Amino acid sequence: MAKTEIRVGGLGGQGVILCGHIIGKAASIYDNKYATLIQAFGPEARGSACSAQVSVSDEVIGYPYVKNPDILVLMSQDAYNQFIGQLKPGGLVLYEQELVTLDDRMPPGARSLGIPATRFAEELGRRLVLNIVMAGFFAGVTGLVSAEAVEKAVLSSVPRGTEDLNMRALRKGYEYGREQAATTAH
Amino acid sequence: MHLEGFPQHVTLRDGTHVVIRPLRAIDGAELLEFYRAFPEEERQFLRDDVSSPEWVERFLKKVDFEEVVSLVAELDGAVVGETTLYRTRYGWTRHVGEIRVAVAHALRRKGLGTALSRTLVRLATNMGIEKMVVQVVENQVAARRTFEKLGFTQEAVLRAHVKDIRGLKRDLIVLSNDVSHIWQAMEAMVADYSPMHE
Repeated sequence: MAKTEIRVGGLGGQGVILCGHIIGKAASIYDNKYATLIQAFGPEARGSACSAQVSVSDEVIGYPYVKNPDILVLMSQDAYNQFIGQLKPGGLVLYEQELVTLDDRMPPGARSLGIPATRFAEELGRRLVLNIVMAGFFAGVTGLVSAEAVEKAVLSSVPRGTEDLNMRALRKGYEYGREQAATTAH
Repeated sequence: MHLEGFPQHVTLRDGTHVVIRPLRAIDGAELLEFYRAFPEEERQFLRDDVSSPEWVERFLKKVDFEEVVSLVAELDGAVVGETTLYRTRYGWTRHVGEIRVAVAHALRRKGLGTALSRTLVRLATNMGIEKMVVQVVENQVAARRTFEKLGFTQEAVLRAHVKDIRGLKRDLIVLSNDVSHIWQAMEAMVADYSPMHE
């Protein structure tokens, strides 16, 4: 498998970095691949732009920076505005559909799939698991990390006592992702 | 809402095996039988007339596993314990859940109340509830101990608030368990902020 480059973008407080961390952890620790993670924070704890650069490969990764991602995972309009120009032609945009509006800046051949992740998280009980919904959505759509691996990555990353809600969030995103991917494939 | 992780098989202190599972719409007769077996002086400490078929019918309709969650303990097809979580999805106490628990006489002092309560507290935490409250009458010592073992502490005493079957007024104790620290840890994790970052 060639290296897959991913950029996860959003706002501070949305769990952008944790989402990237879980994708990388699932690939590297539980799917026996290689992964790197680079994280960028704004100066404030909440509301500032932040992003994670994740690379996943079957081989050792020599260069961890993501200049032109194959996949964008976007949780805010600012992140879309900032990163859409970097997406490779034919790339994939996975986005929070109630927070991000796509436009004609999408590169040629790019595909996109949206999910109301914040609403799903709120319906499950807590808005702050929206990033876990997004991680599940990523796994469900792309298949880049297995369901088992991403479940283990979530369980080993989240605080004790929050596992069940996080797992429900992950499965909600995963199943929605599988449905969306199947629908668009036909 | 579908509750994951059920049924749960629990072995009590005396070796009895019970099954804890969500209440079903078809459990009405068993639930009624369970509550009718309670002595009247104990039913007086419950807030509803749980021995009436009308109450059971209303209760079964209320249990939606969103705002009202009910788990039962089953032994040989009979209900031997029941615990309920009440919460609201909107308003200023949407982070609070109230717990009630009842155990059949024959199964008391065997750890069933603790097993039911622990299961519901864990479920409530995972539903995003930050604070749980339970009310016990002053002489319900075992029930109070059960919840204290699960982290509940006394928050308020309502003097002479309940009246028993003989007309004797007793204090009502409100115990609470603040589990918000669990979610604060999750909030810190999703803050996307590192104080070391330049």
